[in-house]
Amino acid sequence: MDEEFNWLKYSESIEASAQEEEAQSSRRGLRRFLPRLPGRPSLPSRPSLARLPRLRLPSLPRLSRRPASTSGQPSAAELLGGQQERPLDDLDDRLRALRGRSVVTTQPANQALYDVDDILTSPELQSKPGGVISAAALSKAQQQQVEMLRDIVGGPEQSQGTGGRRELPAFSLSAVPRLLGRALLVLVVCLPFVSSDYAEGELPPAEFHEDRPGPTAFYNLLDNISGDDTILVAFEYGPTAAGELDLLAELLLRHIFAQRARPLIVSSNPIAIVHAQNIIRGINRSLAGADAQLLHGEDYFLLRYLPGGALGLRELSQNFADVVRISAKGLPTGLEFEALDEMTEIVLIAESAEAVRNWVEQVLSAPGGRRLLVTTGYAAQPLAQAYADSMTSIVGPVTGIRDAFTYGEKLAKNFGALLPNAPIDPEAGPEVLPVNVVSDSQAELPRATEAQIEVAPATALPQPTATAPPTASPFMTATPPPTETPLPTDTPAPTATEATIRAVEVISEQSVNIRRGPTTVDEILGLGYQGDIFEVLGTNGDGSWYNILLPGGVRAWIAAFLVEERVVTASEFAGGQASASADAPPERAVLQLDFSLRLSKNRPRFYQAQPPTSGGGDRPELILSRDRGLEVPRLQAMTLGTLAAILVIVFGNTIYAARGLMRRRNSQGS
Amino acid sequence: MGRGQRYGIALSAFVAFAVGVVTALSLLLGDNPALFGEQPGSAQLAGLLALPADVLLRLATIVVALSIVIGIANLLTVHVGRLARGKAYSAVMLASFGFTVFWYVARQGDTSLLEAVQVPIESALAALLCLSLLHGGSRVLGKRADIWGLLFVAVVVLVLLGSLPLAELAPVQAWRDWLMRVPVGAGARALLLGIALGTVVTGVRALLGQDRSFRG
Amino acid sequence: MDQTTLQVYAVLFVFATALLAYTARYFQRRGRRRPQRRLAGMGRIAEWTSRSIEANRPLHLALGGAAVGGDKTAIALAEAEFFYHVIEGAQASDVAPIISTAAGSSVPLGQDTLRRALPEGGDSLSRVHWYPGELAYAAAVTATMKEDEPAAHILAGSFGAELALMIDSADRRGQGSLALSDRLDGQAVAYAMADEVLLGEELFAAAGYASEDGRAQADAIVLDVWRALVIMGVGIALLLEVAKRMPWLNWALVLSVSAILLVFGLLIYRRR
Repeated sequence: MDEEFNWLKYSESIEASAQEEEAQSSRRGLRRFLPRLPGRPSLPSRPSLARLPRLRLPSLPRLSRRPASTSGQPSAAELLGGQQERPLDDLDDRLRALRGRSVVTTQPANQALYDVDDILTSPELQSKPGGVISAAALSKAQQQQVEMLRDIVGGPEQSQGTGGRRELPAFSLSAVPRLLGRALLVLVVCLPFVSSDYAEGELPPAEFHEDRPGPTAFYNLLDNISGDDTILVAFEYGPTAAGELDLLAELLLRHIFAQRARPLIVSSNPIAIVHAQNIIRGINRSLAGADAQLLHGEDYFLLRYLPGGALGLRELSQNFADVVRISAKGLPTGLEFEALDEMTEIVLIAESAEAVRNWVEQVLSAPGGRRLLVTTGYAAQPLAQAYADSMTSIVGPVTGIRDAFTYGEKLAKNFGALLPNAPIDPEAGPEVLPVNVVSDSQAELPRATEAQIEVAPATALPQPTATAPPTASPFMTATPPPTETPLPTDTPAPTATEATIRAVEVISEQSVNIRRGPTTVDEILGLGYQGDIFEVLGTNGDGSWYNILLPGGVRAWIAAFLVEERVVTASEFAGGQASASADAPPERAVLQLDFSLRLSKNRPRFYQAQPPTSGGGDRPELILSRDRGLEVPRLQAMTLGTLAAILVIVFGNTIYAARGLMRRRNSQGS
Repeated sequence: MGRGQRYGIALSAFVAFAVGVVTALSLLLGDNPALFGEQPGSAQLAGLLALPADVLLRLATIVVALSIVIGIANLLTVHVGRLARGKAYSAVMLASFGFTVFWYVARQGDTSLLEAVQVPIESALAALLCLSLLHGGSRVLGKRADIWGLLFVAVVVLVLLGSLPLAELAPVQAWRDWLMRVPVGAGARALLLGIALGTVVTGVRALLGQDRSFRG
Repeated sequence: MDQTTLQVYAVLFVFATALLAYTARYFQRRGRRRPQRRLAGMGRIAEWTSRSIEANRPLHLALGGAAVGGDKTAIALAEAEFFYHVIEGAQASDVAPIISTAAGSSVPLGQDTLRRALPEGGDSLSRVHWYPGELAYAAAVTATMKEDEPAAHILAGSFGAELALMIDSADRRGQGSLALSDRLDGQAVAYAMADEVLLGEELFAAAGYASEDGRAQADAIVLDVWRALVIMGVGIALLLEVAKRMPWLNWALVLSVSAILLVFGLLIYRRR
């Protein structure tokens, strides 16, 4: 920006000289015989570029004040076009070119100025090494001005990123690296779909890594819903993220349907609701042979879309009864929920960090023991992870295709399917799934315990009766807790015995921190209150910390001096659970034992890991009918594509860095 | 500027100020019944105070919902005009618009075009986006040949390496996790803080009726 | 800190901002102009504006996903203010700038900005383009790049990674670009690919740099003050946190080291 140049003064001086010139020239040439054009003011034409002193640019506000820009004034080009006073032959080439541009108004905008381009591209100049710039031996500032002039008139490019080039050359050598990079990426990404010889990288594990308790807790919570439950599923992604999130969304919906729970689908993006409906139609298509299809209005509901982004979510949070009353098509749903807290779980499938933030701020911030189960695309993962690390009411995040693969594996395993891509073997022996959680083993996850349940041999499509169906709200209802006694295979309710459970009770009058590890610098997962009872898995080396188990399968640590160890009988435990559930309506039961641990302080609450579902829900065909055709090649293509991207980025930047260094050396030399 | 116009400006500024203050106070007082102590009726009072904000925010939601109509009107106006000037893409846009509306009406609400056309096209665009990102990533040092550019490239490469599912890269994965958790988290928060500060300053400007929309 | 306390602090913060804004404006009116810090990204706007005028090519100003009526209203208003000054500078061009948005509710805002900034309102109705959806928006903007051949693009708004499509396309056509996003992914793309880049809150200060409007400059000053205070706060918190982990640290030591550093600093300063 040129701070020194004063356009107003300059304009005045130009105007004065132009008037003088006009007065002199008005006595000669054809001008005497031509009438003054109507509406043409007597302002001078804007000076040509050649007359601009050193081509300095005026600053913005000054530009805005100049006479030519005022309302109703013709533009500079029009003024030139209307100049009839002087014979054309008197004009120099540049002015003729400018005039031509304004007269021929029908010419396309990319029409280069006459002659100037020819001059700049003349063989005499171009034959010189370095082109016009070196031929004229210009200074650096002059070179920039020539480039700018070339940009304005559409001359051949020599500079990068000046912002004015008009026409691209048909083919330029500079496009070769770009093409090569893209070709390499496309090629390697296609390879896994063509041949399995190019399989690179490891497939995602069949279980979420134990360093990431969030996804495990996410899965377990959805695994514990039942036919009485209603799940709010927020579809916050559109077709843009379909490739990344469709698989995960489909798995979550299948999981919910398989448990016979009902999803209410809602979104602040109208297209996302339609997309969700199409996903469910896809599920229905895969169930073509099954006896029951999923029906809108019975098995699932598509609610009206929520306009206004955060405002719409606020309305959902505060006026839930109004939102659920109307379907996406504007028809009554017949649903009679009064508040969002009546939802058993809230599941968010988000494409962007912004969507995660809006849901956390507008829905979770409201009073009520709400919990948000979060799945995201890769772009939203960092923020979602930060939220999950700092807020116990956020579970997850389950992220992208790799986590979707693991989720699918867990589903397939629990619902009786065999390993991925392996032929289903009807001769396979009975699969043993862990069920109980009472264990002193700290190395194992809650499911890997002594008490186990046998399920029927996996078949291509196991019948629901062959597996033990899940109990309703397993860790909350009057279902007796699992014991170390192996359970019968065909009954979901574990036998109530007088087996004891090692537990600790919070004795501190203040709330106590529950942490991820046995130190005070470990992350806080939640708070416990006086009277809360937790099942104990073990202690640390010096016994100063107890390893406890939270609902959702999350292991945590609590300082020993804040709690008192005690032994609870199973019936006592069950009684505590029953009393807790008796205080609340059934659909609120799970929320009352929210592991965010910030509910009533008045009565003891019993925290025990939920007994896992015993290998499948009511409708396993919903899980097993899924087509998993291209999952593995897709993952391998991702790996190869990432490798290619790394190569291209490193190679490209090395070249640019080397070029920059050479330029710097040359400029220092000269 | 005439006297009528000045009054109009003053009135619009006053309305903006009044609505802003009422909404802010209503949100503050209505959401916090604790401010009124434990007296009987405090909850009802809080509910009453929350009402203006509820009504105004609902109105805003309705206006925003209606804005899609403005958008469609704008889309058609702009592209009919551009079509008259011979812009080819506008012809394609208008034809697609007409066909989609016809399809939806004729097929009684069939949304299969979404899955058959829009999802594949947007997925293809997302794939093209990868290529653009790759190209951009490969010439960062061409655009910004300084220490920050170099740092940017190094982080990109490290994060990409860390995302590879190769056992040999386990240490890199740990670095990547740290990078994503600490510096990226810090950067994201810094960005959000900056945006929040700017939002407050702009909000205050609008609240005081100093925004250009209220200045005539 | 409970929610009520937070809200009270928020209200106090808003009042403090209003007070600061009035103070800054007062000093602006009295002619005590504080030298603004340098925003590298703003330097090219004048050049692009001139190109737009001389070459009869429009500027393209993109609002992205910033919508009026949601949580991004303030961003949309700040963009509109910034764009107003850019358009005002380019009003001598025969071709009016194009404003694009992905949010229907921002269409009237764009039209209003053009109407105010252009003489007699220009052709404000047909110069605002609405393309819903992120990738669809990016694709439509690339079509505009081909058909309208803008001199440059000012992509200052709410964008995600789709910004890469737009900047790449602009780059291939030799059209300049200045980019900024309130989203992390968009901001990363802007940094890596755009010719010029602004960061975070600079969007809100940009109007103060693109004009000599006292109000806009005062707002930029208020932002700078808050920014400095936040940085100081974070720095102090960091120091205290570090000090907590160093049991051998005490006030005497801190004061001694500070005094030594101060003396050295003064010596170096005087030598320069």
